[in-house]
Amino acid sequence: MGLIKEPRDVDFTVKSEPWTEEELADFRKLMKEIKSKKNRLRLPLTKSKRKKDLV
Amino acid sequence: MKRKKQKGLDFIVEKLTNSIENTSTGEVFDTEIVELTIKDIAQIKKSGWVFDWTKELNDKSKTVYKLTTTNNPTIIQGLLSIEDKQDHIFMHLIESAKFNKGKAKIYFGVPGNLVAFACKISVDKGYEGFLAFDAKSELIKHYEHSLGATHFRGLRMFIQTNAAIKLISQYFKS
Repeated sequence: MGLIKEPRDVDFTVKSEPWTEEELADFRKLMKEIKSKKNRLRLPLTKSKRKKDLV
Repeated sequence: MKRKKQKGLDFIVEKLTNSIENTSTGEVFDTEIVELTIKDIAQIKKSGWVFDWTKELNDKSKTVYKLTTTNNPTIIQGLLSIEDKQDHIFMHLIESAKFNKGKAKIYFGVPGNLVAFACKISVDKGYEGFLAFDAKSELIKHYEHSLGATHFRGLRMFIQTNAAIKLISQYFKS
C-alpha cells in the first residue's frame, strides 16, 4: 500500500465553487461518453467469455 | 471492523481503516474517517481551520467527515465536505489541520486519504468513482500526477473510475 505523499511545501486544499448548470450538463455528457467507451471496451471480452462458457 | 450508521445517508459507512505517515519518523498510523454532524461542532475549533466548517455542517445538502488516527480520535487531522449529485460526488472542501500544513506538517497523506474516501463513496453509491472538484490553478498539474485527476476546464477537475479505483486500493485495505 503506497500513500500519496504531498510535497512538504504543497498543501492540498480544495475549495470548490458551485458549477454552473451548463458546466454540469457538459460534465454529465462527458461522464456518459467515458462510461460508454469503457463499456464498449468491455463488450468483446464478455462475448468471448460467453462463447467459451457455451463450449 | 466497527460499523457506524450514518444519519442523512442511505448507506452505511464503515469506519474504514487506512493510514497516514509521520513526516519525521516515517511511522505509519492507522486512521478512521467518521461523519460529523452539527452536534459535533465543538470538536472543530475555529482558530484551527481556514474554512467555515460550521457552515458546511449546517448545510443539509453536504456531508462532513473527519479523519483521525485510530488511537487518538479526538484530534482531527483533516476535514472533508462532499455532496451527492446523484450521478457523481462533488467535493466542496478539503482541509488538513493546521499542524498538517506547510513545511512543518506532521503527517503525510491526509488529503489523499480523504480524496480516496470520497472516491469510495462514489463507488459505493454506484457512480463508478466519479468525483468532481475545483483546484487552484497552480495545483492542477499536481493533482493530475498525484491523484490521477483529469482536467475538465478552467479550475474544474474530476476523477474517473480507473483513478478512483487506484486511489481506493492505495488507501483502503480490502
